Amino acid sequence: MNAKIQVLLCKCCSEVPELLNIAKLEKLASESGNVLSVMTLDALCDGKELAMVVAEARIKEIDRAVVLACQKKDVSPALIKAYKRVGVNEHLVQIVNIREEVVLPHAAEQERAQAKAQTMLLSALARSRLLQPLERSSEDMKTRNVVIVGGGVAGQAAAKEAAKYGVHTIILEKTGKSVTAPGVVMPHATLIGGKGYGGNFELKIRVGESLEDLGAASVVIASGGGWSTLKGALAKAVRGAMPLYEFHQKLHAEQTSAGTVVFMDTPDPAGKTLKVQDYAWDETLETAIELKRKHPETAVYVIFQEMRASGLSELAYKEAAELGVKFVRYDRSATPKVDPKDPTTLSVKDLTQGDELKIRLGTMVFASIPASPDNQIIAEALRIPMSVDGAIRRGSIQRGPVSTPKPGVFVCGSALFPKSREVAAAEGQAAGKLAGEFAARGSIEFGGIVAQVTQEKCSACLTCVRTCPYEAPFIGTASKAEIRVQACQGCGMCVGICPSKAIELHNYTDDQIMTESKTLLGGDF
Amino acid sequence: MPDTRPKIVGFCCERHGMDAAVLAARSGKQFEASVRLVQVPCTGRVDGMHILRALEDGADAVFVLGCLEKNCYYDTGSIEGRKRVGYVKQMLSELGLEKERVEMFNAASSNSWVFPEIVAKMVEVVKKFGPIGGEKR
Repeated sequence: MNAKIQVLLCKCCSEVPELLNIAKLEKLASESGNVLSVMTLDALCDGKELAMVVAEARIKEIDRAVVLACQKKDVSPALIKAYKRVGVNEHLVQIVNIREEVVLPHAAEQERAQAKAQTMLLSALARSRLLQPLERSSEDMKTRNVVIVGGGVAGQAAAKEAAKYGVHTIILEKTGKSVTAPGVVMPHATLIGGKGYGGNFELKIRVGESLEDLGAASVVIASGGGWSTLKGALAKAVRGAMPLYEFHQKLHAEQTSAGTVVFMDTPDPAGKTLKVQDYAWDETLETAIELKRKHPETAVYVIFQEMRASGLSELAYKEAAELGVKFVRYDRSATPKVDPKDPTTLSVKDLTQGDELKIRLGTMVFASIPASPDNQIIAEALRIPMSVDGAIRRGSIQRGPVSTPKPGVFVCGSALFPKSREVAAAEGQAAGKLAGEFAARGSIEFGGIVAQVTQEKCSACLTCVRTCPYEAPFIGTASKAEIRVQACQGCGMCVGICPSKAIELHNYTDDQIMTESKTLLGGDF
Repeated sequence: MPDTRPKIVGFCCERHGMDAAVLAARSGKQFEASVRLVQVPCTGRVDGMHILRALEDGADAVFVLGCLEKNCYYDTGSIEGRKRVGYVKQMLSELGLEKERVEMFNAASSNSWVFPEIVAKMVEVVKKFGPIGGEKR
């Protein structure tokens, strides 16, 4: 073991010395094995002292560092860049967060805080000795295609934004409707399968009757809502059923039919009511007011389970009530029903009065629409998760609001959940920007903290293949698992689950994790 | 009274888990000083062996802190983590130890109050059952 460690102690603008004894920490660090240099800095984050650190590292031929400072995200970029210049691998710079883990939360207990900081320093040193330098590499993208599934509001907005990055946009539109967007528009085209990873997807699409292959750097899902499938089932059961946007268009064109108009939250063919989004109520109220103003003689009902008019739309609720719109609240246990024999009568139990109301329907308007049934095929093709509603599920919010868990796949519009045109367009722009930027990079970086299989131990049980959300592990030609490093995100799920302990995650090996916890438990409490 | 101090180890994922702890500290929250955090890339990386070894090394209680299950950075990571913790809990009760000593938690990086609550809960557990091994040690 010939690790050459440099220890940096950051005073965090003299927040640390108020509580901790820096001299003791310095002494402890310099007395530990493999430590060649110990430096105390006033503030690491302002970067003024980096030149000094680098000079010292060059003289002592440092190959790894332990930095006692604050959160990793705040200190690392500039520091790692500086260390890179003297040949210290970025994965060998270990940052110990003493500010947020010791100084701030234990301000009242000086003695115990000191003991904790010392143990943390020792455990970081112990782990640092075990770390291995890791290399990152890159691969060129085969195409600059951004494939957009769906040519609706969100899809068109995405294409316009993505095109600004100089990439090729290809819209797959299920129907033959005209789509105004830059790039290629393929009518009657659907996504049916695919493989690959962010940057190099190989998609299978159906255009009319023929099957084609299509390479893509990134994919935007804008499959929209699934009103069309619901329409058929509802048209038979309910007289004059239509979605809100359709009713709105008819109202503007003065084409509404006479008779009572009922606004309701989302129906589901299975009988249960779907979740209604806030926007739906805002627009429902506005449309109801507009209708009542234009045709005061029309009886207008708004039937709801839970009304959530957002912000100033609360005023619209009051205004609608004053104009004579009748609000009926029902309970989840007794959803409104249309008589199967007579599709023109809706019976609903009023929760506030307890009476059973019978309404003769002229038009029934639904505010929210269910998810597209195409989502199933799209999600299977790209191997991304779906929500229980049948929509595409977005990834962690830390990845971004229009991202899926898979890098390079973005989702926008009603494919996530039903939403208004404005929001769908805004999301489309966001997804288009991200997808365009992703494709315009031209190459993908990978490596670093990734998993690796020890083939002699592998029993090809497929557990890792099933567990990985990114399809990184696969069974290679030797009938043993291998890791596709381009797809590996370094989460280590396959490592923890492998029954043969054949996989290990670089720099988070069992040995390194357990050494860290052992050293942490070895100190004073 | 150094012998009554609880020894708690937390395996935190580097995404929401660690961020929740950092945000708690930055919001001025104070918590028990004897909690020691080990950073892992994702709670799916935590192996039953890590938890058991920590208990063997003297921890009185171990918690695993990951992302919210529907908001996990690695999609299914915190669900996997929960499975491992459940496995260890079963093992502990077979060994005759209190299974409450090991617990899985989920946190969002925007919730500053979650982390101190988790630590308080684990301190409560240690107070209830005493140091690991009890009188035998």
